[in-house]
Amino acid sequence: MIATPPSGRRVVLVVGATLAALVVAMVCGLVIGPTSIATMRVIGDVFSHLGLGHSTLTPTQSEIIWQLRAPRMVLGLLAGAMLAVAGGTYQGVFRNPLADPYLLGVAAGAGLGATIAIVDVGGAVVTPSWTPILAFVGALLAVAVTWAIGGRGLRSSTATLILAGVAVASLFTSAQTFLQQQSSTTSLARVYIWLLGSLASASWSSVTLVLPYVVVCVVICVAAGRALDVMSVGEDESRSLGLPVRRVRLIVIVASSLGTAAIVSAVGLIGFVGIIVPHIVRLLVGTSYRRILPISVAFGAAFLVFADTIARTVLAPSELPLGVVTAIVGAPVFVIILSLRRPMAP
Amino acid sequence: MLGLSVRAGSATLISDVSLSVDAGTWCTVIGPNGAGKTTLVETVAGLRRSSHGTVTLSGESVSAMNERQRALRVAVVPQHPTIPFGMSVHDYVSLGRTAYHGLLRAPSAADRRCVGDVLERLSLTEFAARDVATLSGGERQRMVLARALAQATTVMVLDEPITGLDLRHQIAILELLQNEVRECGLTVLATLHDLTLAGQFADRLVLLDQGRLVLDGPSGEVVRSRELAECYGMELRVIDVDGADVVIPVRH
Repeated sequence: MIATPPSGRRVVLVVGATLAALVVAMVCGLVIGPTSIATMRVIGDVFSHLGLGHSTLTPTQSEIIWQLRAPRMVLGLLAGAMLAVAGGTYQGVFRNPLADPYLLGVAAGAGLGATIAIVDVGGAVVTPSWTPILAFVGALLAVAVTWAIGGRGLRSSTATLILAGVAVASLFTSAQTFLQQQSSTTSLARVYIWLLGSLASASWSSVTLVLPYVVVCVVICVAAGRALDVMSVGEDESRSLGLPVRRVRLIVIVASSLGTAAIVSAVGLIGFVGIIVPHIVRLLVGTSYRRILPISVAFGAAFLVFADTIARTVLAPSELPLGVVTAIVGAPVFVIILSLRRPMAP
Repeated sequence: MLGLSVRAGSATLISDVSLSVDAGTWCTVIGPNGAGKTTLVETVAGLRRSSHGTVTLSGESVSAMNERQRALRVAVVPQHPTIPFGMSVHDYVSLGRTAYHGLLRAPSAADRRCVGDVLERLSLTEFAARDVATLSGGERQRMVLARALAQATTVMVLDEPITGLDLRHQIAILELLQNEVRECGLTVLATLHDLTLAGQFADRLVLLDQGRLVLDGPSGEVVRSRELAECYGMELRVIDVDGADVVIPVRH
């Protein structure tokens, strides 16, 4: 469908629209909720915090905005940005359109870690408050095992790494299934809710916990855009063009996996953002990762905050799991894109 | 290179091959399928490691160089180049400048000038904004050659650069290359299957068979040699057409 690479004007247009969507998403994240507070008053309150004008909110309303909705919105931005850029980066480094941030076992590892923390096998409970830590450790452990198996050999290829990821993910998933099968129904339900992902437990402390990881990892991934463009000609050719392929691959995989692990530990497994957002962006601005990655950061952030707004309002006061909303919105979009575009060269 | 051997697992792909190519000359490696031609040029380009022996460029070992240092000295035209999806011809040729501007900086004015020059020299300027996937086979091969020339190296290694091209485009690519050798002092190491074209365009031919160097000499001598016919297992006749050697297989 794209006969010539998109023009500069088109890219500017897409960037502008994405940034506008991001601002709208942020406002929605603050304004929409069970307690209705007028949009202009919320915006006025935001400006008053910047030293412009006076707030007209009651202390309770201010509490709702700043202690409930704001951290949730910010965590949504961070999660969406990180998952989208990690997915785009994985697609570039593996030259595989189906790659997502969970490709090397992050999801399976985090799932096992969270399961260990939550389930009560034989009456023994680690304690649910350990869930983020064990999920984080599990995610990184799974990626490390994948790398140890498939990423180190002299002639190791990305194909070996993907296969190692498949093997490690199945191993961790089966361990997780075994533990779940041994546990009680109540703890099983809690694991299940965690696996589907949610921003419901967001707080400023969870935001500050993941913020440094996300900032550093997003910067590294975006900076890798030019290297990923070179990699689009394959490993041998990019080496002959002067690209230290193995080093770039290691740096990029570490950054994507670390950032994803931090996000997963805070919000659970949110699917589809990492795979569809980079594809939508690619359809709009072409195949250069120098464009895809930075735009995916903003697009992913906006997408997830919108999805979360839907997740917490459709069935209010109860919530839909965020992973369900991203898939319900994401799957049809993904199908439409696939039917519109030419097959991606491997 | 001296005493070069390359192994893959227990198989020896090339064994104890020594040859040297003078700067500013064209050397073509010929031989039947499986002779080790591709292995040899990949090793010279630093894409494979040798189990024995070294490849040196003006005294410097290729395997001791990092990717960037190598890319500034040797450009490679692979047998089956990967054509990326959705990239413009200009951006593709610009990849040849990666080693100059690095991975975090945009191409400099000098890089852009070099790419513009190469596009013009290879009559690709009108295609600059086109998607690489829309080019014909001949245009595509010219574009891959342009990327290698944009590397502005003194040595170029080409593996079957004219595979799949019609006769006119084969000659066009080889003449472009010959021009670079004569005008700019480029050193070329290539592999070719077509013995007639190999003989016409190279200063020197190197005959490989089963990973061993069989013969190394001026083109005219190698195409007439008994060894050449033996390696291919068939009778060959060489006809002089206006001073050019034409190699013809004789069928019985």
